Amino acid sequence: MNIRSRLLVAFFLLAALLSPLGLRAQEEIAVLRPVTMAYTYSVGTAHNADTYLSPIKYSGWSMALGYERLQAMRFDPERWVQRWNFTLQADHTENLVKNAVMWYWGLDVSWTMMRRWGLSWSSSRLSNLTLAIGPWVDLDLGCFYTSRNGNNPASAKGGVLIGATGYAAASLRLGRLPVTLRYQPSLAVTGAFFAPDYGELYYEIYLGDRSGLAHWAWPGNYFNLRNQLTADLHLGGTSIRLGYHGSIYTTRVNHLTTRRFTHWAVIGLSGEWISINPRKKISDKTRIINAILYPQQ
Amino acid sequence: MNRLTRYILSPLAFIAIGVFMPACHDIPEYANDNEGNFDALWTILDEHYCFFEEKDVDWDEVYTRYRAQLNPNMGRQGLFNLCAAMLDELRDGHVNLSAPFATSYYTAWWSDYPQNFDERLIEEYYFNFNYRSLGVFFYGMLPQNYGYIRCSSFDSGLGEGNIDYILNFFALANGLIIDVRDNGGGSLTNVEDLVNRFITERTLVGYISHKTGPGHDEFSEPRAFHYDPIGDGHLRWDKPVVVLANRSTFSAANNFVSIMKLLPGVAVIGATTGGGSGMPYSSELPNGWGVRFSACSILDAQRRSTEDGVEPTAGCAVDMDEQAALNGHDTILDFAVDYLTRQITGQL
Repeated sequence: MNIRSRLLVAFFLLAALLSPLGLRAQEEIAVLRPVTMAYTYSVGTAHNADTYLSPIKYSGWSMALGYERLQAMRFDPERWVQRWNFTLQADHTENLVKNAVMWYWGLDVSWTMMRRWGLSWSSSRLSNLTLAIGPWVDLDLGCFYTSRNGNNPASAKGGVLIGATGYAAASLRLGRLPVTLRYQPSLAVTGAFFAPDYGELYYEIYLGDRSGLAHWAWPGNYFNLRNQLTADLHLGGTSIRLGYHGSIYTTRVNHLTTRRFTHWAVIGLSGEWISINPRKKISDKTRIINAILYPQQ
Repeated sequence: MNRLTRYILSPLAFIAIGVFMPACHDIPEYANDNEGNFDALWTILDEHYCFFEEKDVDWDEVYTRYRAQLNPNMGRQGLFNLCAAMLDELRDGHVNLSAPFATSYYTAWWSDYPQNFDERLIEEYYFNFNYRSLGVFFYGMLPQNYGYIRCSSFDSGLGEGNIDYILNFFALANGLIIDVRDNGGGSLTNVEDLVNRFITERTLVGYISHKTGPGHDEFSEPRAFHYDPIGDGHLRWDKPVVVLANRSTFSAANNFVSIMKLLPGVAVIGATTGGGSGMPYSSELPNGWGVRFSACSILDAQRRSTEDGVEPTAGCAVDMDEQAALNGHDTILDFAVDYLTRQITGQL
């Protein structure tokens, strides 16, 4: 090999070493993990009470904007899936005689990673029956406000909770329309939440009295259960999400009781988004693992 | 039990928990009738009012006495009058019942005492209507070279720059008179904004205690609170100060007087204030009527209650002479001018 040939070989070897992407362009993608995202608008009723503000129960309308993101985990995509959920909520409620308004504004962010199982059971209508369960971490922030109160117009809410969640999901067909059904309950088990003392004014907190504001949560003093039933109607690349969301939130600490019961009808858009590395090759062997349904064997 | 049954029962267990657990967090309900509203009102006060023991009010006895007068068929006005009379037993100017047609108000805390104030008299005879107005304040220089600030309310405050202007206006004055007679109170943050011009270091200004439960004796340990002096770049007042008070000096104004009285170089002149040291809290009845009452007790810096008022500085209790007032003299203000003069000349 003359010097020119040696230089050419060295050049190509160097180029190959410095261009790993170029080499990997020939690699095949083994697994694709599409993200299931949903943007939802919810509207319904709220039944709220906060004895720090009033002993009277309030009822009215409630609405929420939601964003949900589900994706199979990288390390074991068939069995594990994670879910992020963001909800912005506003309630407008009135007392019994409708001469006072109590607002509630809230932000809820939750994360969960669930182990899922595919069940062999199926019927003529349902298939891909999937069950999942996992830990649930929830950040729940909000505030009640009523303009009729002078020194106690607002009652702040805040909690970081750990609990359990899971879902049962299946696919079915309505005529020729494929549908994914999912029921997902979530229950807070423990954590910490904020509450002032029985007759403590926020002015005292402003003055620096911050003792005793954080409380350990357990189902006896902090109960938060959410039930969500959704149907994703797959219309080609995009799906319409219809569903129901019910929330039961009740706390009792320092002789103060707070209640927030909401029932929402849910409508939104959902779909699957796949992020593909253009330098990688998709072949017939590439498996696409759905974020909700357990992969069919 | 086969696997499918278990799969179905598990979510049902979740739902069952959701139905039964919140039952532990019951909220008592009262009917929206005369009995229900009366009982709700009595219970709200029973569980939240903070001065039962201090005022020696037997609230159970009050219930028995007034409940016996309750007629299920009485009209709204009759119910209102009965409830208002029951609330008057608390002898507290911070207790009100608000209905669409009236608001009850206990008045004896000031109506049983001389008024000791006539704003028009000062505007006319001391300033010939030549004074400066700024929000709820009016101010001017007295002929004896003392600044006079009239503060009619703490409902709204002044900005830091506004107060700087006022104090700068009095830069050459030898003393300052702050008149909070007939000041019915307002926000404590506005009190702080004024007090912090008269302190030079972080100052203990009082203690606050709240209820920790529905029992009449369930209170938190009184907790000290402090005010900080106004920051650099703003004016502070370090010359003699006199605060004028009367029986209608109430609530946040009562708090202002209790703080100022304990500052060095400050004297309170006039009559004992009206009190109202309880921070008011609001609630409501099933029929939508609102109720306001004292819920948190504020003590002065010496841990004494000021619910019954703050007495003037020793030797400074003085009433307004009504005959002199007819001749254009506010004898409380005249006393204050004389007091400042004696203080400055070392005759006290």
